Amino acid sequence: MSEPLTASRLLDRMMKNVGIPWQSQRADGFGDGIHLGPPDTVVTGIATTFTPTVDVLKRAVASGKNTIICRETPFYSRGERAPLFWRNGPAPPQQLLDKDATARAKRELIESNNLVVIRLFDNWDARKTDAQLRGLAVALRWDKYHLARKRGVALYRPGNEYFSLPKTSLGQLVRNIQTTLRVHGVRVIGDAQSQVSKAALTHGFLLVADLQRVMKEPGVDVVIGGEPVEWEASEYFEDLVAAKMAKALILLGNEVSEEPGSGEVAAWLKTFVSEVPVEWLPAGEPFWTVS
Amino acid sequence: MVARRRTLLDSELMEAGMNELNCTRRDMLRLAAAGLVSAASLPAQRRQITAREVVERIRQNLGVPWRERTADTFKWGDPDRPITGITCTFMSTLSLLQRSAAAGNSFVITHEPTFWSADDVAADLRDDPVFEHKMAFIEKNRMVVWRFHDHWHARRPDGIFAGWTRRMGWDQYRQSDQRTYVIPETSLAALASEMQRRLNVRSARMVGDPKLKVTRVANGGHYIAQAMAAAQEADVVIGGEVREWETVEYFRDAVAYGHKKGLIVLPHEGGEEAGMEECANWLRGFVTEVPVQFIASGDPFWIPKASA
Repeated sequence: MSEPLTASRLLDRMMKNVGIPWQSQRADGFGDGIHLGPPDTVVTGIATTFTPTVDVLKRAVASGKNTIICRETPFYSRGERAPLFWRNGPAPPQQLLDKDATARAKRELIESNNLVVIRLFDNWDARKTDAQLRGLAVALRWDKYHLARKRGVALYRPGNEYFSLPKTSLGQLVRNIQTTLRVHGVRVIGDAQSQVSKAALTHGFLLVADLQRVMKEPGVDVVIGGEPVEWEASEYFEDLVAAKMAKALILLGNEVSEEPGSGEVAAWLKTFVSEVPVEWLPAGEPFWTVS
Repeated sequence: MVARRRTLLDSELMEAGMNELNCTRRDMLRLAAAGLVSAASLPAQRRQITAREVVERIRQNLGVPWRERTADTFKWGDPDRPITGITCTFMSTLSLLQRSAAAGNSFVITHEPTFWSADDVAADLRDDPVFEHKMAFIEKNRMVVWRFHDHWHARRPDGIFAGWTRRMGWDQYRQSDQRTYVIPETSLAALASEMQRRLNVRSARMVGDPKLKVTRVANGGHYIAQAMAAAQEADVVIGGEVREWETVEYFRDAVAYGHKKGLIVLPHEGGEEAGMEECANWLRGFVTEVPVQFIASGDPFWIPKASA
């Protein structure tokens, strides 16, 4: 009989299959690897998700899965990330986490169910193919418009994030995205009447450097992103629009832009984990709006 | 591409220069400078003042010591040139600079950055076309931009939150901790709508039960440590831009446990712009040479109505 699949053996397999030299530490915050739970825990099932919310953890437990592989962390912080301090802020102090009813109940939920939380972020993004980008493109049903595909280069990665969409108004494009992804809190910069066709697709945290990169591509009308810093990337984009150098920015929110990538993580895990079930449990969009 | 940008600049210049009052004031100043009319013959409001002199008066009137390390510095333009008017705003976007020039105000006092980062080093701006365009606009229109962030927050009461409280009409509800308000009972959804209306924003995003009854409202800042601390006592926490993987997920979990909590995430602008209207009102008390105007940079975002 073979050895049971433990959390540490699962992590070993992930490291072997990721296709790049695994980095477990980063200077500026929490690295990838086992974030919570004993490494010798026997894995009963795996749930992948953008962020391990209480709801996701309860759904994982209900379906018999004790191992969560996620992009963000359970206690609301990426760590100190000193160079980005003014974007992130510090993690909540332990004293506050010990006092807070929500944080205490969540820790109890994780411990009483012997859950293991494995973080996968930097190493996943460092792979040759940007699976977060591919997941989002497929969720939007934009893969058929991928310009790299027309060039015979079907890889999703920086330099290949452009899409030639059927020409439409910005307002209509946003409505199509809302319907396809079933989201509410999409924030837009730009004139709803403007005609757009060529899109640059990004995901997650949107930085000025990302906008500088994609705007070098000729003819980009609209950029799709996750979450900007409002005194950085979104101000930069407002200025692009005021200078008539770009038309529109559509901000999906961080979860909405990254969650399809967790589906990609599940598909990847299934190529080398066959002993236990693997399931993508989307956290879902967190917001509602009034208008 | 360069030629096209220049043409655009010229047309913007014409638009900016078309304000007739402004031209008259500039002409008078020029005549005064050339000695053709005496400075005394100008109305009191039309004496000369430079941006640097205005900042010096701000330092004298602030009531808190000036910090050695601060973001409150001149960002672009010549501080020693006489100014034609002052615009106070949340953020010196290119659109705001265009509107300030059109209103005849050459000095922009901005709470947030001009060049897209707190310390102007987050991105490499060499050969950046937007940077080039924005700089050229400031120079061609003989404008000067100064940031007023750290010290306006350092004032007691904090200038930004004094203005925000006044705009909300909440002065009488403010508690002694300066960040909590006890308001007449309402629902989370009604409060969100009211807040959008009073703050003139349209992109608030909420977490929590829309029908939640709320009365204790706390300002939760931008970061999770502040928001979590604020949530200990409050029914609803206001975030004036928060990181989504931090504060938003914390509130989602609180709600999942049935805790009666709500979160209203305002655009950063909605959390702070009113504080720069307060700044314009304050400046008028000791700057009388030129007009002082509040111009809203405005909510950058719109959210489409939910499709049926």
